[in-house]
Amino acid sequence: MYGYVRPEKGELKVKEYQRYRGVYCGLCHGLRRRYGPMCRMLVNYDFTLLAMLLAGAEETTCDKRCPVHPLRKYPCLDSCPGLDIAADETVILAWWKLRDGVRDERFFKSLLYRAACLVYRRAYKKAAALRPAFAAETQAQMERLNRLEEAKSPSLDETADAFAAILRAAGETGAGTRSRVLGELLYHLGRIVYLLDAADDLAQDEKEGSYNPLRYRFQLENGKLSQQDEAALRLTLQHSHNSISAAWALLEPSPYSEIISNIIYLGLPAVTQAVFAGTWRPRKRERSKL
Amino acid sequence: MNDPYSVLGVSPNASDEEVKKAYRDLARKYHPDNYHDNPLADLASEKMKEINEAYDEITKSREQGGSGNAYGGGSAYQQQRGGYQQQRGGYNAGYQQRSQAGSNAAYAQIRALINANNLAQAEAMLNKITVHDAEWNYLMGSVCWRKGWMDEASRYFRTASNMEPMNQEYRQAVQYMNQGGQAYRPTGYTNMNMTNADAACNMCGNLLCADCCCEMMGGDLIPCC
Repeated sequence: MYGYVRPEKGELKVKEYQRYRGVYCGLCHGLRRRYGPMCRMLVNYDFTLLAMLLAGAEETTCDKRCPVHPLRKYPCLDSCPGLDIAADETVILAWWKLRDGVRDERFFKSLLYRAACLVYRRAYKKAAALRPAFAAETQAQMERLNRLEEAKSPSLDETADAFAAILRAAGETGAGTRSRVLGELLYHLGRIVYLLDAADDLAQDEKEGSYNPLRYRFQLENGKLSQQDEAALRLTLQHSHNSISAAWALLEPSPYSEIISNIIYLGLPAVTQAVFAGTWRPRKRERSKL
Repeated sequence: MNDPYSVLGVSPNASDEEVKKAYRDLARKYHPDNYHDNPLADLASEKMKEINEAYDEITKSREQGGSGNAYGGGSAYQQQRGGYQQQRGGYNAGYQQRSQAGSNAAYAQIRALINANNLAQAEAMLNKITVHDAEWNYLMGSVCWRKGWMDEASRYFRTASNMEPMNQEYRQAVQYMNQGGQAYRPTGYTNMNMTNADAACNMCGNLLCADCCCEMMGGDLIPCC
């Protein structure tokens, strides 16, 4: 996954950190319980936030061991509807990203993606049967994204919209005000993640000649954004960040409010800063999960 | 209606000061400026109405109960609150007022659609219009903005403003975009900035803080306040 959505750990209280960890572990255990041990590897920080948003007020935990921590039991969030939805959606999005890899990558790497698809095929079938609406939306938007990439779209908004719409669908799990607010929050989160990823990959895409919306939206100077263009990109990210804050203020407080506030007000700006300063990639390589 | 104290998130035994503080925090949170052309603005204004009513009810009941004798500051806040409401009225009425200035009947209809958050239909109507004048660009920008397509919105706003540089409405839209907008941040989460524009926005606030500090120490940084 992307991994851009994470709390600023140093600013969290220890109890908040443990609670965050509990959701992360809960999502991991949920993936294993529902889809088998291989799907554990799909757990990621971005969907941990989704799990916290969907879990609402649920916070019953139990202590569990896992292969990564065989010696000590750690508290982890019990299965609840929000966590289960997040687990299902993790599998669905991961599957479509793998399919995307099969299409995009060159021969040998594409073979690896094909092999991974074989491993996750059954899990995807099950998840798609449980969340048909989300699976259909993800597929439709990924196909739209591919079309835009093939057409070398110069629009930041339209390409980001395809990805953002997937995250919106991930949050809109019912009718009503809460779902509407969640959808808006996640839409702009998806927009930020997509654009940050584009900014982060720019140098590499330029080298390999792969599609990147920034290459067609802006005039690059020596393979980099000019100062003015970077300011324009940051400004549009700032607008999305404001929309996230506006939506977040409208949600009812939950046990995870402090952590989510930390992610929104501290984590996201810090990651944005790191991406533009060029200090994010080394960290990303160390920690990326997929 | 809900219990006014729980709406403000304070206990019924809270002092007048605490109630006032809670009210001001919430008013800052749901302030219409944070929901400028936001698709969730209706929910924020509902919240604002709720906390205004709760605060009114508490102050009224406390005045009657005799505990509010020392509560001279109340009216000032009421005025301030009136200000918030007026401002909100301004935003709501904004599109309607402007529509009278617009020459084209179709534009008036599109403005009404945008105002009602019916973006798909507004966009469809805009796409049917072949002459792309300044107002068309402005309205397209508004649709894009509300959809969350902020990069495109800024380009449409700029085009509109370039075509009619004297138009106040278009200029304001460009200004709002460039300055980076506004968002609520709870206390304790304000130490990091996302853009340089943010730092520039905080400058006035920082100056005022510095002025207050100076005044506390007997000096004065900004003589007029």
